[in-house]
Amino acid sequence: MDLEHKHQDDTSLDRLLQEWVVSEPLPPRFDEQVWHRIRRAETEPQASIWALMARLITVVVPRPKVACSYITVLLVVGVVTGAWEAQRQNNRLDSALGSRYLQSVNPFQAAAQKP
Amino acid sequence: MKKGALILLLGVVVSTVAFSSFYYFGTVNCRELMRQPQPELAWLKKEFHLSDAEFTRISEMHAAYLPQCQERCLRIAEQDRQLEQLLATATTMTPDIQNALAARARLRGECETEMMNHFLRVSQTMPAEQGRRYLEWVEQHIFSNGQDMEAHHHMAHHGEQ
Repeated sequence: MDLEHKHQDDTSLDRLLQEWVVSEPLPPRFDEQVWHRIRRAETEPQASIWALMARLITVVVPRPKVACSYITVLLVVGVVTGAWEAQRQNNRLDSALGSRYLQSVNPFQAAAQKP
Repeated sequence: MKKGALILLLGVVVSTVAFSSFYYFGTVNCRELMRQPQPELAWLKKEFHLSDAEFTRISEMHAAYLPQCQERCLRIAEQDRQLEQLLATATTMTPDIQNALAARARLRGECETEMMNHFLRVSQTMPAEQGRRYLEWVEQHIFSNGQDMEAHHHMAHHGEQ
């Protein structure tokens, strides 16, 4: 019963739509505005990257687990690179002082290396 | 937004402080060496694990050796200059050139002998194991590439005069 009634409504709606004639003229510069909207839609993905970053900073980073992990990783990076760079500096100085010692006792030879 | 930015900044600060601290404390010995009056001798002490008494003795031997070394180097420079003058005008081998070359070779041998004597005396002042290691090191870096000696001579010593 309901289905029959619905079918009749659809038929009448179809008829009405077919009879509908748009008499109103298009607004001024309609075409131009359509193209403007298309262009704006194309640039939206760029804006969404910033939105994503803003969301990352405002929502994701403050989460306790994320914040702890982020700070821990940077702490480890700082410790490892600091220790590594100090070791490199020590090796460079050892090599340079070994060369200086050899040069001080051997005028013939400028180059020398760490033992 | 503010909290997130603060956490990002805190991470950078923590990393920078960690790097600086480990670098600073990791290079304390370097700075200490460079503050010594003769850093190369201080390095020798550290490298060959010398006691204070051994280090003092070796420093005295080093100081006594340097003026002799300097004097020989001046003689070598003079001989090189004479040989250069002879070779500038020569078209054939002359007795003067032969004499100059022979004198140069003698002086070079004398210099190497004195150098070796110094190294042996220094090694005998060190503990036995370190003395052997020291001798191996100087022999490896000084006597293993004798063909380069003359080339380095001007750059290493006379370049500073």
